[in-house]
Amino acid sequence: MSVADVLWRFPSALMAWRNLGRNRVRTGLAALGIVIGVIAIASLGMAGAAIQQQATTDLGGLASEVTVSAGEDSEQDGLTDDQVAEMRAIAGDAPVVPQKSNATRLTSRSGEEVFVSVTAVEQANVLYNVTTGDSPDRLESGALISASTAEQLGLEIGDPVEYDGRLYRIRGLIGSSQGFGGGGNELVLPLSALSDQQYYDSVTIEASDGDQATAISDGLEERFNEGDEEVISVTNFAGVQDNIDSFLNTLNLALLGIGSISLVVASVAILNVMLMSTIERRGEIGVLRAVGIRRGEVLRMILTEAAFLGVIGGFLGALVSLGVGMLMFDLIADDALLVFGWSSFRYLFYGFGFAVFASLLSGLYPAWKAANDRPVDALRG
Amino acid sequence: MNVIELEDVVKRYRSGEEIIEALKGVDFQADRGEMVTVIGPSGSGKSTMLNIIGLLDTPTEGTVRLDGRNVTDFSEDELTEERRSGIGFVFQDFHLLPMLTATENVELPSMWDTSVDRHDRAIDLLERVGLGDRLEHTPKQLSGGQKQRVAIARALINEPDILLADEPTGNLDQDTGETILEELTRLKEEEDVAIVAVTHDEQMLQYTDSTVRIVDGVIQEVVPA
Repeated sequence: MSVADVLWRFPSALMAWRNLGRNRVRTGLAALGIVIGVIAIASLGMAGAAIQQQATTDLGGLASEVTVSAGEDSEQDGLTDDQVAEMRAIAGDAPVVPQKSNATRLTSRSGEEVFVSVTAVEQANVLYNVTTGDSPDRLESGALISASTAEQLGLEIGDPVEYDGRLYRIRGLIGSSQGFGGGGNELVLPLSALSDQQYYDSVTIEASDGDQATAISDGLEERFNEGDEEVISVTNFAGVQDNIDSFLNTLNLALLGIGSISLVVASVAILNVMLMSTIERRGEIGVLRAVGIRRGEVLRMILTEAAFLGVIGGFLGALVSLGVGMLMFDLIADDALLVFGWSSFRYLFYGFGFAVFASLLSGLYPAWKAANDRPVDALRG
Repeated sequence: MNVIELEDVVKRYRSGEEIIEALKGVDFQADRGEMVTVIGPSGSGKSTMLNIIGLLDTPTEGTVRLDGRNVTDFSEDELTEERRSGIGFVFQDFHLLPMLTATENVELPSMWDTSVDRHDRAIDLLERVGLGDRLEHTPKQLSGGQKQRVAIARALINEPDILLADEPTGNLDQDTGETILEELTRLKEEEDVAIVAVTHDEQMLQYTDSTVRIVDGVIQEVVPA
């Protein structure tokens, strides 16, 4: 069963299909314009989605983190166990990690001195990415140290480091830390190492996302800080994430705008092609009208031609864009299959829909013009 | 009763600054089973008259009756319906659609009409004009005479009352023209249709039932055969 057999039941579609087949080069070029327009829209949209997705992955840890320290109006120089307990109640299931900090000098066997910041913490795995060795969820003995610091000092897993007169065995090496401020020389010890400090210097709360982080921040402010008082100081970067998101959205819109221009150009090309082809066929359309084909039927026939151009061009364009998108995701996010996520895949539908819409719009004027030509004038050619 | 009737029809149109009176009060009628030939020099108004009979154009003054009904003031959409159901056209240049086969060209006037299936009638008509072996050929694969026969079959597909022919033999050689005229004469009786033909072709007068001569928008003489 050929295409024509199916179309026979839809006379407008049959006629449109045959008309497009009469000048394949022209039809092909008109569809190519649409293909390029769709590729522009869909690819730029997907590029934006890929950048956004990658930025969210990179910054995700930062945005969902809430850091608390003692505020200006705090009665003591740090955060108390009671305060931490209340924070746990507010944070719900998000891990609350109190820390004490200090600084010290470490000396290598060869006498090289390195200045390191010391953090005493129990749930070390929440805060640090350990690249080598193990990352304890309860750090009670031993130490973690920045990989770069370890290298500088010639230390390996199992080697001892000395702090405050006691030796700690290195259990793991820390890679680059999440978010800002990473990459320094860090030594992570059990809380017991800094037991002479009565209060916690800071508390880190790891929310599951930026929204939860904001909610926890608000809850903490409300609980601890009355009016202008600042008993605790709460910091979170969800706002930064929002700014970055809004910037990326703007970038995305700009990219789509550039893409749309090419589709507008393509629809002008379709308008031109449809207009030319209806002018060329004026006499033929006059015959149709003379033998009793209604105006609406002529209109439908020409609109269907334009729609076919849009559907064919849109489909091919979407197909090529899918390939382009896979390539982009492979380059930006190292996973080509991420293109099938809705946030990027939808641009294929947008591109296709826009193509069909733009083609129909371009077909409207030529179709109207052809349908309303007086048959007696049209027949003269 | 006459199937088509023009009564005191005047047609004026503008051509630049001038107003041209193409028809100056024309009376005309034709009945089913009758072939009327309209002759006259170029610019005499015979094409204008054919357009008005074919409901492609409307008169400035006067009355057009189709089967006794006054259709003078019909809207374009109403006229389209009348053309679809009651009038068939045969043109000098055949005007077949190049991307359709012979059968599809014949079916064209009824193509959008889903209530009737004219496929069998299309094949029957093509067989009757001797094109039973050319059903799936496109116009490019047909000779001039064959194309005109497809056009005649197309004009008859909706069982019209009137068949209008504008120089039907104008683009054909003498012998082919003759066979086309024989075809028309036979179908005129078989289909009980009125044929109105405009022509320069002298040989057409042998086949016609009456001849109308028009000069300068005025009918000069009516010659019954």
